[in-house]
Amino acid sequence: MIRFDRQSFLGSGSEARLDEATIGLVGLGGGGSHMAQQFAHIGIGGYVAADPDAIEDTNTNRLVGGTLRDAAAARAKTKIARRMIRGLQPHARIVTVCDTWQHATEQLKTCDIIMGAVDGFAEREQLERFARRYLIPYIDIGMDVHDLGKDGFLISGQIIVSTPGSLCLRCCGLITDERLKEEAGKYGAAGSRPQVVWPNGVLASTAVGLAVQLLTPWHPHPPAFTFLEYDGNSGTVSVSAHVEALKGRICPHHPPDETGDPFFDIRKHLEGIEQRPASLWRRALRAAKAWFDGIFGSRSTQTV
Amino acid sequence: MKIGFKIAAALLATVRIDLRRPHPCAHERVGFISAGLSAVGDDVLILARSYRPVLDQDYLRDPSVGAMMGPEALRKALQWAMQTGAALFHVHTHGGRGLPDFSSVDLRENPKFMPDFCNVAPQSIHGAIVLSDTAARGQVWLAADRRHTFIERFTQVGAPIVTWRAA
Repeated sequence: MIRFDRQSFLGSGSEARLDEATIGLVGLGGGGSHMAQQFAHIGIGGYVAADPDAIEDTNTNRLVGGTLRDAAAARAKTKIARRMIRGLQPHARIVTVCDTWQHATEQLKTCDIIMGAVDGFAEREQLERFARRYLIPYIDIGMDVHDLGKDGFLISGQIIVSTPGSLCLRCCGLITDERLKEEAGKYGAAGSRPQVVWPNGVLASTAVGLAVQLLTPWHPHPPAFTFLEYDGNSGTVSVSAHVEALKGRICPHHPPDETGDPFFDIRKHLEGIEQRPASLWRRALRAAKAWFDGIFGSRSTQTV
Repeated sequence: MKIGFKIAAALLATVRIDLRRPHPCAHERVGFISAGLSAVGDDVLILARSYRPVLDQDYLRDPSVGAMMGPEALRKALQWAMQTGAALFHVHTHGGRGLPDFSSVDLRENPKFMPDFCNVAPQSIHGAIVLSDTAARGQVWLAADRRHTFIERFTQVGAPIVTWRAA
């Protein structure tokens, strides 16, 4: 038996495909830490993990991989994720950014999929817009605990797959102007919202499964857009009624002509590369080439 | 510098379907894909946006080649590049499965007109793509006075994500 034998049903070449893939993990709290762990278990080779926070005592009820010692040391959540991934994937390509994801955009551009486990609606919308700009599928998870007064508490959540060219978080009503306005009004006064480990686990596991569907051939027809709703009180995950209602619709919120960097200029890009001092090995290579050409004649072709 | 090309699966499917339509006189169809660009370190990422077919009346009757664009087709494409500043890629299909190759006609004709795109929209790179039913290969011009290079990696972004190396 070799390590990934038990998941060989994912399809021919899936082990290499998972190893080649790079996953963006935005938010490494209750949801993101679960996903980091599971991606490492299934053999994902590349990670871009961003979170500005350090673990606190109040996070230890749900942050997978975090210990009481980490909380005492106020260890960065990115460091905890890196340690957890390395324990399962010693040769993984890991980039951690202990800052907001907006400071990791250069690295996130290179991802095959971005997983969002962030708190706010505005942040979700910005992250999805970023993913669309670089033609990257975005998978969003989120949960909430609502106080129903005398009726107790309601645990709910969602998992949404938003791929370029398909429906988005606005299309399915998760992001609305009203919600953004309400959130902006509460800015700085939200307080700490209730969070527990098991709903995060359900949402994260489902999201990881959907990401694996996008990366490997095990599922014959994975959907380009998915909206799953989690009901923590009944313990069910079901397809949202929005999916059927939106069938055949085209997303009007992310026009295709928004892809790429608006100010990219190949002339400046090439100038930047050509003006950079050559590294030592590159200079040695050039010297060797000049020596070779001097003896055997130039066979050089133009390269970039 | 490595060059990657990403395209949404739905857009690529639209292109393939359109290029399969029979033409009144040409043996095959051609079109143009517009794209945005992004730097990833020293590398460049081409991010496909939309597709426009060459109109039926803008082909020239030339039985020696599969399809020959007329001057009006080229003028419209150049105008598109100039007005939007987008990267433009000439596209046609050879059908079949696996990594396609440019034909000798492609290799002869593409360098004749692709540098013009670099003249009208020099901030962008431009090129030509040949499709099969399962893959693609691409040439890229970084500037009008430079020899072309090749797209190294293609990614079809959909469900599932499909990636292949092409250089």
